[in-house]
Amino acid sequence: MRLLELEINGDRLHVAAPPHWTLLEVLRYELGLTGTKQGCDKGDCGACTVLVDGKPQLSCLMLGSAAQGHAITTIEGLLPAHRAQGGAGADPVQDAFDRCGALQCGFCQPGMMLSAKALLSENPTPTSTDIKHALSGNLCRCTGYTQILEAALLAATKTEEVL
Amino acid sequence: MSLDAARHTRGESLFVDDLPQPSGLLHGAVFSSPVAHGRLLSLDLDAAQKHAAVRRIFTAKDVPGENQIGAIIPDEPLFAEGHVHHIGQPLALVVATSPEAAREARDLIRAEIEELEPVVCPREAHRREQFIVPSRSLRLGDEAQLAEAFAKSATIVEGQTSTAGQEHLYLETQASMAVPLEGGRLRIYAGTQGPTAVQRVAARVLALPMSAIEVEVLRLGGAFGGKEDQATPWATFAALAAHCLEQPVKLVLQRSEDMLMTGKRHPYQSDWRLGLDQEGKILAYEATLFQNAGASADLSPAILERSLFHAANCYKIPNARITAHSCRTNLTPFTAFRGFGGPQGMFVIESALARAAEVLGVTKEHLQSINLLQSGDVTPYGQEMQGCVSRRSFEQTAQRFDLAGARRATVEFNAKNKRFKRGLATMPICFGISFTNKMMNQAGSLVHIYLDGSVQVASGAVEMGQGVTAKLRNIAAHTLGCDVNLISMAATSTTTVANTSPTAASAGADLNGMAVRIACTQLRERLDALERGLPWKELINHAHQERVHLSSAAHYATPNIHYDKDAEWGAPFAYHVYGSSITRVTVDCLLGTYKIDSVEIVHDAGKSLAPLIDRGQVEGGLAQGIGWLTVEDLAYSDDGRLLSHNLATYKAPDIYSAPVKIEVEFLEHDESPCAVLGSKGIGEPPLMYGIGAFFAIRDAARAFRPVERSGAEDLLCAPLTPERLLMYLHGNR
Ligand code: FES
Ligand code: FES
Repeated sequence: MRLLELEINGDRLHVAAPPHWTLLEVLRYELGLTGTKQGCDKGDCGACTVLVDGKPQLSCLMLGSAAQGHAITTIEGLLPAHRAQGGAGADPVQDAFDRCGALQCGFCQPGMMLSAKALLSENPTPTSTDIKHALSGNLCRCTGYTQILEAALLAATKTEEVL
Repeated sequence: MSLDAARHTRGESLFVDDLPQPSGLLHGAVFSSPVAHGRLLSLDLDAAQKHAAVRRIFTAKDVPGENQIGAIIPDEPLFAEGHVHHIGQPLALVVATSPEAAREARDLIRAEIEELEPVVCPREAHRREQFIVPSRSLRLGDEAQLAEAFAKSATIVEGQTSTAGQEHLYLETQASMAVPLEGGRLRIYAGTQGPTAVQRVAARVLALPMSAIEVEVLRLGGAFGGKEDQATPWATFAALAAHCLEQPVKLVLQRSEDMLMTGKRHPYQSDWRLGLDQEGKILAYEATLFQNAGASADLSPAILERSLFHAANCYKIPNARITAHSCRTNLTPFTAFRGFGGPQGMFVIESALARAAEVLGVTKEHLQSINLLQSGDVTPYGQEMQGCVSRRSFEQTAQRFDLAGARRATVEFNAKNKRFKRGLATMPICFGISFTNKMMNQAGSLVHIYLDGSVQVASGAVEMGQGVTAKLRNIAAHTLGCDVNLISMAATSTTTVANTSPTAASAGADLNGMAVRIACTQLRERLDALERGLPWKELINHAHQERVHLSSAAHYATPNIHYDKDAEWGAPFAYHVYGSSITRVTVDCLLGTYKIDSVEIVHDAGKSLAPLIDRGQVEGGLAQGIGWLTVEDLAYSDDGRLLSHNLATYKAPDIYSAPVKIEVEFLEHDESPCAVLGSKGIGEPPLMYGIGAFFAIRDAARAFRPVERSGAEDLLCAPLTPERLLMYLHGNR
């Protein structure tokens, strides 16, 4: 076991975990943050995407220890962060995914939304091509992606309004 | 949108592996056969057993009841004994204190197997007469009439086609957790479409009464048929270990384990012959389908049946003989996958029409349009079509999306361009709704109204992203006449509704929706017998004062369906779903790559219970259909080894492969009196619009390399990956 000090969704946490555990395992099985999903454990599906210092990162490919000293955002942290910044209602990305029917089983969504979130923080007015590029590492087997693309575009207009 | 939508966006929806871990939780890992066919000589568990974290290793001899999980035919042991019949067939279950320890120990197990020759090709299995069930034939007209119709035909085309299998790739892998309860009872949190199937098999394996086992399903992270029968073994393994060790046990498959050990869509091969008159009207059709069933029956016999039923798609065929063989091979048993054999049957007739159009020098859409079914026509399985909107949907698609203009533009583009060619294909569909096994067309519900006016609805339907719980909730609110927000949906459990059919066959909302509607109607009638005009909450309070029963359980069985298997004749479907699409593609003939430019669809959803959900079902089904026939390539070695067993080697559609434009229009009509509130099942039919993508790409490829000059094969093998397309475009000159 190794004692890790992690900053997750704005909270500083101390957690003991086996040294070879990935960030994904630490989040899910030590911290109970099960919103981050495991779809393949090999870096191929994007379901485990979290934000590390605002950038999308596959948590199944990052050791828990390597996450120390970085600000981690998981899906559970989106709403509190949005509220902390004085936002009302849901985060624009969450709201857009909800309204566009961009989710069916919901398993790919946390990763998909965090990838979209990262894109919009960097580029608040993305084109469809930008969105495809940003989401190309996130597999979704249910939706066929059209509604996801629409949601990301809608989130972009909302994000712009907020800014 | 899905009832869970807002919860999903916050990451709060729980799947099996997200449930709070009970104390003392143990973890399982499965050791499976490394060879496709052989005699099991010994299993060396010693090293694994010495692993400090291992609690116990289970094999066939540790099964207290029957070592048997086959649902239709008892031909599939939980643990292989004596012989192994496919790679990935379970031999032992290792239970340890952590998932990694269980896998570490699993990897220390050695099996001594005397290898026997494996069979992987269904035609080879057919030659050896290795069948799962006796072969079946549908006929319209007798043999003499068929021969006469061929003799009268102005044009006869014949050929062979094949379609490959398809990995379900539900994003959530197979997962189950079993927790012992007091008195030797068990609760299984199963990732299954069929809670009753799990309950029944676990009871059989553990020699317990079904009443001692509760199966609960919260939701699935996708299923598509892959968690119908294929979820059962993993849940049963967890149950076996939890029962014997009296500790909770969880079994979650890793992606590559899942891909290696679970069944997929059936690969099919086929021979066909089609006879047409001078105008292109179909006179006679004869087809033989070779289903690669894999090593045991699983759901193959039922899937074979649906391939037969859909072999004529939406066309009027006066004389037909369609034969199907379910061939036993040494691959992981193939299973249900959205469409359930229907798409494989349809692909064959579409291939025949594509070939016929080339020979006749007309477009495929022309041939399709003059052969569509109408109400009153009889299918090769004997059902008289009713409320048939085949032509309407085809014509509406053609007009609304300017089919003639699109064809003209394609021809013009191709005349001007050498490297890039465009292709177009229309794809009309007709898909029967109902389980073809009549017994399965029933469902139950249980509705409670609580004293504060809130309502809980339980049914046998499993939510897997298809939105069935949202639909059921709408039905309940509509029927009870209360605010939809007062209604919550209970987790699917064998303790609330018993003896349920799996949520499958596009019938989840149909069957369970009817059961919910009946229960709610009963409650509404009881309330209506009281004072009228009270607001909902006061009404409920008043009803309780008056000692009115505020709970209701109901049962629904689809009426009027029947099928005689001996005669191969009847009316197996409650109704049919229709629709039509136009797919346009551009092929880069230098590289063999392609882009799906647009898919335009007019789909018959009846009176949609939830248009946004139904649109999602159409688009998602379409994407899977396109993936199946284009980029998804399930590759096996000659000795029966799956080569594409992770996401790095199996390509599934990503956001780049999505069609540039999808337009979905719902066909408005009131000819659907059959399902709940005039709606129609929507899960499976849209997948078959994906067939249009295959034929659009083929259309473009033929424009580049016309068939008369090519000397190439017929290009009727799916998937049409860019590699295969390139071989066609430039090979064999
Ligand atoms: S679980 Fe990390 S990419 Fe699939
Ligand atoms: S919604 Fe199921 S995988 Fe995307």
